[in-house]
Amino acid sequence: MFLALREIRFSKTRYVLIVAIMLMVSFLVLFVTGLANGLGNATSSAIRNMPADHFIVQQDSDDRFARSELHAEQVKQAQAIAGTEGAQPLGVRMTTVTREGTEGRIDIALFGVQAESWLVPETVEGQPLSTAAAGEVLADLDLKKSGVKIGDTMVDGATGLKWTVGGFTENRSYSHMPAVWMNEKDWAAYRSELMAARGGETDTAYNAIALRISNAQADQLRNAVPDADVISQSQAISAIPGHKAEQSSLLMMIVFLYVISAFVLAVFFYVITIQKTAQFGILKAIGAKTRYLAGSVIAQVLVLSVGSLAVGVGLVLIMKSMLPAAMPFSLGAGTIALSCGLFLGVALLGGLASVVKVAKTDALDAIGRAGA
Amino acid sequence: MNHRIAAAVQAKPAAVQTKLNLSGVSHTYGDGESVLTVLDNLSCSVAAGELVAVVGPSGSGKSTFLSIAGALLTPTRGEVSIGGRSLAGMNERQLADLRLHEIGFIFQGANLLPYLKAEEQLRFVARLGRADKAQAARRADELLERLGLSERRKHYPDKLSGGERQRVAVARALMNDPSVILADEPTASLDADRGRDVTRLLAERVKAEGKAGIIVTHDERILSYCDRVLRLEAGRLREE
Repeated sequence: MFLALREIRFSKTRYVLIVAIMLMVSFLVLFVTGLANGLGNATSSAIRNMPADHFIVQQDSDDRFARSELHAEQVKQAQAIAGTEGAQPLGVRMTTVTREGTEGRIDIALFGVQAESWLVPETVEGQPLSTAAAGEVLADLDLKKSGVKIGDTMVDGATGLKWTVGGFTENRSYSHMPAVWMNEKDWAAYRSELMAARGGETDTAYNAIALRISNAQADQLRNAVPDADVISQSQAISAIPGHKAEQSSLLMMIVFLYVISAFVLAVFFYVITIQKTAQFGILKAIGAKTRYLAGSVIAQVLVLSVGSLAVGVGLVLIMKSMLPAAMPFSLGAGTIALSCGLFLGVALLGGLASVVKVAKTDALDAIGRAGA
Repeated sequence: MNHRIAAAVQAKPAAVQTKLNLSGVSHTYGDGESVLTVLDNLSCSVAAGELVAVVGPSGSGKSTFLSIAGALLTPTRGEVSIGGRSLAGMNERQLADLRLHEIGFIFQGANLLPYLKAEEQLRFVARLGRADKAQAARRADELLERLGLSERRKHYPDKLSGGERQRVAVARALMNDPSVILADEPTASLDADRGRDVTRLLAERVKAEGKAGIIVTHDERILSYCDRVLRLEAGRLREE
């Protein structure tokens, strides 16, 4: 540390410039990570935050809930193996509603579940979902931002059915739409209205079955339930429209940012180390050990990256507090810690080339370098 | 020629402690048909409080001599002992430790670290040697004062004159209280007055602290400060 800090003190401009680059890269890493998380939540939090480990969907539905349709018969077959508790029917449908008395349309994702089952999310405001309260739904807090309050009535655009918001839950959206949870009776009413309007089929009761089962039971279910697939929760999440495309492009950016920061550091320290080869030779001649000198290079890498990370995290947190609420941005302490850890690891990797260079420097270079 | 060196070694009073001893040292570069013998059965010893100049034409092997005496290079044949310890069989780490504690190097063109202030140059080598901090600070103060650098202790090397830089280098070489001081053309980048100045101070310190000093040099003007002058020719040292 003795050499590392004094060199930074002496060559301020040089190190300030590299810290500025590192700072911007780390800021971008954190910002894009927050955006990726936020977008991920907006598309999938309703499914991600469900305590289910597997789902049953219709075969050839591409694992998409919206495309999948399951009969009451299939629900019974699944419950025969997984138990009534282990297999919960789940209805998912995207629709457009208006708040009664207003014109503005709001896109929502309807989730039909058995009230009081483990599928129903926790209520943070108002009344929880109950079997008894007909027409009363539990809505995601995002809906509040569209002006919907507890006690407000929403009118479905397709069927004309009316639902009253009884309570709010949080962090439940699906495909960028706030999720609205209703009990099985309301769901059945909605379905039959919808079917009547289409004049079509009957008894396509639910879209999926949420499961809490062991892997062995999953295999059993695969064989037992006809015309259906058992998929994992992560499969269900990545099948949500838009989710994979968003996440993979953002992930690519993040990976590139890490690679860039590794290279920037590697080049910076390598060039500086090459400039200092003669110095390292002298230091080795007067008895400094390779370990000490390599430690000094690593200490500089750490000081610079910790410094730029600290400022980067600070900036991102300020940015976060200033972002408009509609912006999907989510960055928890855990994610920040993980990103910082990764960034440090990558920075150290970048310093490696210089360490090798230091190790290869020969103390003999110090003697007679200029004549003698 | 060889017996003359031996005679010179024996002529020294037995009570004087030998700090640096090279005996029968040979060094060759290359292998097979093209072998270049740089040092050929060279012997030399330097006692405490003695400053010896080694002169010789370019390519006479002065650098190789200094590298071997400075525990940077292991000779092909022969034995080196510094501060009474034989270097034979030491590994890289042990050699680095020995250089740190027993040898003070003064290089051509001070070769100070550009980002350390004068006193930090000294404290740094003390740190490398894991010396006690308070003691190191006292030692640094004393050395800087003796070398007339007290006023310049807080200056970076680029704010010091050439002579001051080389004096800091002398102080750095003395910092860890080594047995041997090795100087590689210390006056090459200085004008005559400053060169003499630095050499005088170096001679003074070598005597006062009982070091064995070797100056490898081209500079005839500083030879008067040295106790003995050895000429390196054809791989051997000859007393002048």
